[in-house]
Amino acid sequence: MTLVRKLYDWVEVRLGISEVIEKEMTGYLLPRTINNWYSLGSVLLFAFTLQVISGILLLIYYVPDADKAFKSVSVIMNEIPFGWLIRLCHAVGSNLMVATLFLHMFSVLFMGSYKKPRELQWVSGFTLLNLVMGISLTGYLLPWSQLSFWATTVATNSVGAIPVIGEYLVEFVRGGKLVGPPTLGRFFAVHVAVLPLVIAGLIGAHLFFLKRTGISAPPTRNDPATTTRQGSSYHYDKHEGGIPFFPNFFLHDMTSVSIYMACLLGVVFFSPYLFFTPDSFVPANPFQTPAHIKPEWYFLANYQILKIFPSEIIGLTVQGAGMTFIALLPFVDRGDGRYPLKRPLFMVCSLGGIAMFIALSIWGHLS
Amino acid sequence: MIPVRISAPIRILATLLFSLAVSVATGHAQENSCVTCHGAMPGKYGAPVPLWKSSIHAENNVFCHECHGGDPKDLGNAMKPDRGFKGVPKETAIPETCGRCHVGVLKDFLGSAHGKRLGSGGPTCVTCHGNHAVKKASLEIINEKTCTKCHTYERARLMKQAMQETEGMITTLDARIESLKLQGKASETMEQGLFNARNRFHTLFHNVIAEKVRSESAAIKKDLGTIGAQIDAIEQAEQKRKMVGAAAIGGLLLAALLFRLLGKTYDN
Ligand code: HEM
Repeated sequence: MTLVRKLYDWVEVRLGISEVIEKEMTGYLLPRTINNWYSLGSVLLFAFTLQVISGILLLIYYVPDADKAFKSVSVIMNEIPFGWLIRLCHAVGSNLMVATLFLHMFSVLFMGSYKKPRELQWVSGFTLLNLVMGISLTGYLLPWSQLSFWATTVATNSVGAIPVIGEYLVEFVRGGKLVGPPTLGRFFAVHVAVLPLVIAGLIGAHLFFLKRTGISAPPTRNDPATTTRQGSSYHYDKHEGGIPFFPNFFLHDMTSVSIYMACLLGVVFFSPYLFFTPDSFVPANPFQTPAHIKPEWYFLANYQILKIFPSEIIGLTVQGAGMTFIALLPFVDRGDGRYPLKRPLFMVCSLGGIAMFIALSIWGHLS
Repeated sequence: MIPVRISAPIRILATLLFSLAVSVATGHAQENSCVTCHGAMPGKYGAPVPLWKSSIHAENNVFCHECHGGDPKDLGNAMKPDRGFKGVPKETAIPETCGRCHVGVLKDFLGSAHGKRLGSGGPTCVTCHGNHAVKKASLEIINEKTCTKCHTYERARLMKQAMQETEGMITTLDARIESLKLQGKASETMEQGLFNARNRFHTLFHNVIAEKVRSESAAIKKDLGTIGAQIDAIEQAEQKRKMVGAAAIGGLLLAALLFRLLGKTYDN
């Protein structure tokens, strides 16, 4: 008997591990028609783990002090062995994770997987999207570069448009009238402690919902009109006769994770400055506003919306309304049927919405 | 219509009054009365203003009174001797005037063959650099037309040749360091090194001893070479990273393919 076998048996006798493996891995069945879009969730789990690990490594040398932050990041990039790799993986990874989040969201959108009984999956997912964008925003300030400083100034400014409490809120968020050392302190705490915990907890909830409802089968043209489950009693989607999660779908997941990682390294090694501008290599200077400060690409649409309306409060309201609509989509779009080509109104609205988001982002980039 | 002839003093007075009115109206009276008044004057009294505006002095906020004295803040008394007004500096006073800011250069110049002939037919700063339209100094200043105003071009050519390569190296290194900086690479020590080398190089321009220029240039070039080697090392490391990166990406794509094929076998 090998040592590994002995160890396995030891654990088995105490925890009955083979039963867990059978239930969660080999006996966990997925629909035969499952497609690769379903592996994006696992890619996101991997991406989040990578952010956590690279983030912890960065914490070893990063100094959250306005006088030292910029220098410490420069030391990580130039002096610490593999510091550049870790920092670039973290910074590029955040962008790629947001991009993957959009893809995951669009895939469940077009497959109608947000519909009953998966409303909670959608709501928790959409909240996750916003929290991940929030964690990216707070992380953006930490290098304390000109870009960090001024992008944060612009982003926190818009909070001021909220009537009555706006001004106090900006001051609360910044820890003062202007972005300064106290802002760095709070953004740091939120970025490394608050949001990672909240996101991890919510991912747990997202997966719990998934486990309880069972994964959806991809919609097909021939689905009966009423694919969304009727009735008021709990039901688990078993997919009898389906493929096991392990090894079958696990290998699909691994394919997608490898491709994700290849894309990440592609940017890290061959276009490392894709998400940086020259202002990200100049230390923050509150007395000198750089000429062109733009937020990260995934905030460009929000940024442009704020600009096109005559007053910021209208812009904020429009955004708030749009976000609420998306968050509550499963409760608005309650029709049966998930096959997209049989839902023309839905298709027009979602494709139109995505096109508008892209157009606003490009406009924001060019303006 | 009867032609009206206005005498020169009256024209100047009228211009002054007009500029005063304009400057008060635009709120610039306190800023620089030399530029405001002379800028509106015709002929030789106004000509220096546009020239100065194009100069490196204007770029660095070095105004008229730094060389000509006077009080640019007090329009009425700007040109009174008791406000330090000097007018055009005397020829022999020129190096001293420029040397108030360009201290190191003054020393080099006064010790040189040029400086030793000051006041006896030798050149002053403005002979080579010009006055109001003074530009950032470059090797172009050493040219046959300027040098042969006083002597043959022979030795000047030798010096220029010795310096040309160094100048080119400095410009190239400057651009390379700048591009490293834009990538967040630590470039402070290289920048400092280049700054020192450039300063040493610039003092060479004024001692005008061909042999010294040649030997010093060689020493400076050696220092520049060291900086260049540091930049090369960074760029090579970057290249090596790319190769490792390409291998890692290749490995991942291969893994993706294998996972896919293995997955397919299981599915079947
Ligand atoms: C950190 C972010 C997220 C993680 C780690 C995550 C993870 C997962 C995982 C592992 C699955 C199961 C496999 C799959 O269908 O891909 C899943 C399913 C799902 N996710 Fe997410 N997700 C995240 C964000 C989102 C977002 C932004 C949305 C939408 C707004 C969303 C909506 C859904 C829905 C509706 C399902 C059910 C799919 C089905 O059963 O067919 N998730 N998620």
